[in-house]
Amino acid sequence: MKAISYLARSIMLFVSFFMSGYSALAEQAGLDSEIEALKAEVVELNRELFDLEEQLLYPATTSFAVFVSMDAVKDFEIQSVKLNLDEQDVTSHIYRAEQVEALRRGGIQKVFEGNLKPGLHRLKAEIMGKDRDGRPVKRMVMAEFGKARASKYLEVKISNNPNQNKPDFAIVEWK
Amino acid sequence: MRWFICLLILAPLAYGDDLLPDERRAVARDPLYGQALYSLHSGEYDKALGFNYELRKKGRKGYGKILDIHEATAQLGLGMSQHAQSQFQRLLSDTRVSFLPPAARAQAWFYMAKHFYNKGMWLSGLKAIRKVNAGHLGSDLKDEYHFLATTLELFKGKAERADQHILAIDPSSKWAVYAYMNLGVSYTERDVHISKVEAVFNKALELTSNTEKPEVLADKINLMAGQFFYATGRGRSAIKHLKNVSLDGAYTPKALLTYGWALTEQWQYHDALQPWYMLKTSHSPLNQDVQETLIAIPHLLEKLNAKVMALGAFDYATEQYDEIYKQLGESAKRLNTGEFIEPLMSQQVPDRWGAFEAVDMSLPNHPDQVYLKDVMSQGYFQGELKNLRDLHVMKYQLQSAMNELDAFEQTIHTRQQEYSAIKKDAQVSLHKRTLDDLQSRYRGLLSRINKAFKNPDGTGLASEAEKEQLVSFKEVDQQIASMTKTMGQDKKAYQDRLRRVEGVLKWTLSERYSERKRQVSQNLAILEDKLRQAQKQYDAAKYAYQVAPKGFIGFDKKINTLRTTYQKQLAKLDKVYFKQREKVGSIVKVDIKKRQERVMDYQLQARLAAARLFDETSNKQRIVSGEVKQ
Repeated sequence: MKAISYLARSIMLFVSFFMSGYSALAEQAGLDSEIEALKAEVVELNRELFDLEEQLLYPATTSFAVFVSMDAVKDFEIQSVKLNLDEQDVTSHIYRAEQVEALRRGGIQKVFEGNLKPGLHRLKAEIMGKDRDGRPVKRMVMAEFGKARASKYLEVKISNNPNQNKPDFAIVEWK
Repeated sequence: MRWFICLLILAPLAYGDDLLPDERRAVARDPLYGQALYSLHSGEYDKALGFNYELRKKGRKGYGKILDIHEATAQLGLGMSQHAQSQFQRLLSDTRVSFLPPAARAQAWFYMAKHFYNKGMWLSGLKAIRKVNAGHLGSDLKDEYHFLATTLELFKGKAERADQHILAIDPSSKWAVYAYMNLGVSYTERDVHISKVEAVFNKALELTSNTEKPEVLADKINLMAGQFFYATGRGRSAIKHLKNVSLDGAYTPKALLTYGWALTEQWQYHDALQPWYMLKTSHSPLNQDVQETLIAIPHLLEKLNAKVMALGAFDYATEQYDEIYKQLGESAKRLNTGEFIEPLMSQQVPDRWGAFEAVDMSLPNHPDQVYLKDVMSQGYFQGELKNLRDLHVMKYQLQSAMNELDAFEQTIHTRQQEYSAIKKDAQVSLHKRTLDDLQSRYRGLLSRINKAFKNPDGTGLASEAEKEQLVSFKEVDQQIASMTKTMGQDKKAYQDRLRRVEGVLKWTLSERYSERKRQVSQNLAILEDKLRQAQKQYDAAKYAYQVAPKGFIGFDKKINTLRTTYQKQLAKLDKVYFKQREKVGSIVKVDIKKRQERVMDYQLQARLAAARLFDETSNKQRIVSGEVKQ
């Protein structure tokens, strides 16, 4: 009888030990998944907030945005861009190495977003960078455009000119 | 027929190339996709994931499975490895070529392998990396792929396969250095001939110039080589490498300690004291290498037969160990009160989070600064600490979002007030009245003008007397016409006179007509100008009334819903944050306990050595004095 109770106690001890280890592991995995689920939820919530912000602060009738894009230009590496809208500096951006790479890989950066009243406007973009030999390059591009009561998107485009083997800079209007 | 089959095989490849993330799409630009791509490649994974959700919500078609790969990559970047893993597995479980193009498949396997590698699941990583078809990988990923394959093959002991991958890496790529470094480590573990190990480490050192921080990497390689040569009893080679480690880097304490031991092994006791003293004086006793030095110095002094000095040094070490033990205990106490981790969390940059963002360990003027630098930089701890940091950043983001919602509410309130003010001012009706008044005046004037200027001969502008005169001219003309034929000469004379008088009057009238017309045109132009201005004012007032002030409608509900969700999320996050903090805390506590045990062990050794030394020196005196007595 004593032997049986001893055996039963040993089994229970083993099972409880095994279960405690298992539950600790499960708890750890559970916490990790909880954190991941939270991350996904927060990202989605932030996106909703961003949408609300755009709708509220930049209504479709006055919304105006400027994007920057760059092809895989060999002879130019962008360092900064400065925008001047209707003779007023509105924004500037200094690029990190990975942001330059992101542009080269086909990414488009929204560099400015604001409100603009209908009428004629002028946008100047000052692009600074360096060429293949590390020499500083500075270019200024300008565009005059009309804004009606609808969103207006412009793109500061840096593309490769295969004939001259040098970069082309332009401001393009999105239709 | 063969060509046709070839074409059929190549068709999905072209499609696959088009889907590669670094390939610009030739069709009209999609700003949302472009921005997602920019965020993903520039390391802003949360934004990339947000854009991805948006793209899916809007049902963007034509991207194939690339959005899934982007999502999984962004999830990896944010440290959501379980989500990323299931995403990749889902992607790869479909074997239909048309469903997942080869390029996308290769990339998915690559990221899957990278995920397993980062998580320490190396065997699964090896299986995944072997499934990558390198021919379909983008050029920017190829070197990293070969590095990963090298490391994982070395783990499995497949040196020949690893060699093939190493040779495929572009020597100017940073991945070549890491691959050679791992090869060196693998050689040291596999008992490869020393000359080969030396050659590999030297090759890695040679390639460090292609990396972003060559000095740090060179220090690491030199330390690894030094430790290996010291462990295998090749003191001279060890010294050669350890000498090259810089004196102000992260690897300096370990290098100085090993350098001292290597010199000791070469019987250069005097020289060995120098790096250890340097280590002891320039680093905190909380550093584990310094702790070892504290007991190593008296040991060396004993070997130099400076026994009294050694005794003093042992005593000093014992005191220092007491102090270190106490400091570690205080750190453990601070853990319980939150003074340890909270200051560390509060200094993290709010928007820098995810698996690839290092935790900022610098805590100036904090008593646990040295401990943090020493312990928390250990690899095993990083994952948990990063999770805690991410939770902290999310908490900050949620709180800022709530503040933003408050600001939005304020904006809406202001717009509502503006709208009420505009409505109250009745600017539109005021401008409408002015416009109506001007329009009616204009219409009246126009009808009068039309009436007056109907006859270009100017009769419309004649006075009453002139009108009577004109009528009388007609009557006189009729009377003259009815005169008898006999009065022919006189009749003609009368008619001429009448026409002259009539002509004078009509000429006066026509002159007046032109003058009046000019004046009327000027007046009309002024009135039209006023009308235009009034119309503009009316339009502007109408626009302001119609568009701007109504910008608050419908936002109230959205803001309230979002606020409720944010509040719930914040409460949920708080709970998880505390759980994770507990977890990190328990890891630190265990580490502190281990360190305290180690310090106690050193202290015991120091005490025993001191006692032995004391015994030896006093016995010597006794023996000497006994001899004299005899």
